[in-house]
Amino acid sequence: MTRVLGVGLLTAWGEGVAALPDDARRAAGERRVVPMATPAIAGERFRRATRECLLGVAAVGAALRDSALDRAAVAGSRTALVYVTAAAYGASNKRFIVAEAASQVRANGGPDGVVAIEAQSPGATEGAGRAKTGGAIYFPYTAPSSVPAEVAIEYGLTGGYVILVGGASAGVDALWQASTLLAAGDADLALVLAVETFEECADLWTRGRWVTPRPLVEAAACAVLAGADDADIGYGPGAASTLETLVTRRAGETLACAPLVELALARAAGMPIARVTGRWRGRRAQIAVAT
Amino acid sequence: MRRGGSSAVVVAAGVATPLGLDLDTFWSALCTGVDGISTIERFRVDDLRVGRGGEIKKLRAPRKGRLPRCRASALLILAADDLLARATLPADPARLAVVVGTALGGVEEGERAMVERGARVAAAALYDGPAHALARRLSARGPVLTVSTACASGATAMGVGADLLAANAADLVVAGGYDVLCRFVMRGFDALRSLTRERVRPFDRRRSGLLLGEAAALVLMAREGDAPRPRLGRLLGHASSSDGSHVAAPDPEGRGLAHAVRGALGAAGVGSDAVDFVSAHGTGTPLNDRIETAVLRRVLGARADAVPVNSIKGALGHTMGAAATLEAIMCLLASRDGVVPGTAGYEEADPACDLDVRATARAARSRVSLSTSLGFGGCNAALVLEGTA
Repeated sequence: MTRVLGVGLLTAWGEGVAALPDDARRAAGERRVVPMATPAIAGERFRRATRECLLGVAAVGAALRDSALDRAAVAGSRTALVYVTAAAYGASNKRFIVAEAASQVRANGGPDGVVAIEAQSPGATEGAGRAKTGGAIYFPYTAPSSVPAEVAIEYGLTGGYVILVGGASAGVDALWQASTLLAAGDADLALVLAVETFEECADLWTRGRWVTPRPLVEAAACAVLAGADDADIGYGPGAASTLETLVTRRAGETLACAPLVELALARAAGMPIARVTGRWRGRRAQIAVAT
Repeated sequence: MRRGGSSAVVVAAGVATPLGLDLDTFWSALCTGVDGISTIERFRVDDLRVGRGGEIKKLRAPRKGRLPRCRASALLILAADDLLARATLPADPARLAVVVGTALGGVEEGERAMVERGARVAAAALYDGPAHALARRLSARGPVLTVSTACASGATAMGVGADLLAANAADLVVAGGYDVLCRFVMRGFDALRSLTRERVRPFDRRRSGLLLGEAAALVLMAREGDAPRPRLGRLLGHASSSDGSHVAAPDPEGRGLAHAVRGALGAAGVGSDAVDFVSAHGTGTPLNDRIETAVLRRVLGARADAVPVNSIKGALGHTMGAAATLEAIMCLLASRDGVVPGTAGYEEADPACDLDVRATARAARSRVSLSTSLGFGGCNAALVLEGTA
């Protein structure tokens, strides 16, 4: 069974499980999205990096601290990186689309695109022309792979690499992929990283509110995993675990991050084995992890 | 390096491409040199440097119901229809998994969501929407995974599908990739100056860039003991790796790709001397083809002069998330028929790309093939496939 060495947890409520409120819904009040601040990470290399990239880098840093590992311990081809998100590409995608509409106005004098966007998302196009976020430099950051790419560059990760898109069940799938790599001997360590941001697309989430209940809580989490014994990890469908219920109540909806929040709560509670579950689009997946 | 060694049988395949909306037409077009590149008509391109690509001009009606408005989902459903014309799915939908790769997901729905009202269009902008639309169409109730390792997604998805079978998390897996041409991606690649104003010329001395295309490609995979006959072949091994060097450009030495290729060969349990044919990523950009040549020379050694190499991107453009699955299918068909399709656009040899590339199809016996893929975010993937030759 895969063993957790540490979990880095950053949420809109603060760092670690101690920052989680007892009742996220009550703590959120009327807010549909609870945003988190952009981490202050120095370095010229990060000048153009998106907020979600910086959150990913910060979450891995927190996970290494929790695992008592330094950067050298994960650098190289023996550490796998499995990244998962449901939505952390939305902000960059929206910026690119809005900038494209703004460029159309500049080029053609026709306000159609901007007017249409403003009708649906008031304020969305403000500053889009000045920011030039539709240009060549920013296009690669619209891909979900830009987040793990920045993480891999920052920490020198050149091992196995899988990127999944989806909500909490995809978070469980990511833990399974990492376990598969470790069990096959293809990696000594695996980082499972999840990032979710919602603030920039809050208007779209409000319109699509049937997809997920409120509050949507921004989060970035990373688990450092190692292989252990060959006990059954129990990957497959399953009923909701008590951890899943607890995370929904205390953290709110963190989508792909939720299974990693479950791991953090299990470790904090001293549970030796955590049955982690996650549900998204009608499918619930589970996996067992030694904490 | 990430690799999988449990081989999976590829039972059947289905496609929707600019060269044809079924497997036989696609394969015939590749072998006869049909050009799938045209002026893009579905959205505005007159303000872009390049307005051509591998656009599917007309979608056919699906086997049942209507095609969804989301073009990505529509292409997947058409590819699934083609697949289902060649294979049947099991009675137990809980044991049927869907794993699809994409670079762009439903981003065109995201563009639409910005200017249209409604909840459904907002939700459809999520990148995993098309995979779930496919699962609904197939009545699949097993795992539904969306992979997004950029332009290597179709290879990674097949690898993850093989992993699901090895883990006994499913009995059958429909795996593959898709992406659509839309204003978003054309504008992005246009801004990057990656698109050529000329022909796409993979490995050619005059190569000057890529053109984009749209497609969906799916394979039905099963464990050896469960797979019905006839079969297309087997996925012997797969591997993926991260460059850890740049967000948008490949590692200049191709170290990540070399890791992935060696990993896939190791997982397959074969040496580089077993490789009969290489389906290269071969985008036609000056950098990609040079790096790929250097990697293949390092891995294949002296045999690099004798192993046939091709790229199908000259014929239908770079279909992003679909590319690697289309190329894997092409490898298996090449083995079945003893024909390696040519590299459309290739005319003049480049000393920096001194591989055995030819413009037209040739007879070749290829039992074991290697397929390589690269993508934004330092994504690399390699597949080792065994055909029926």
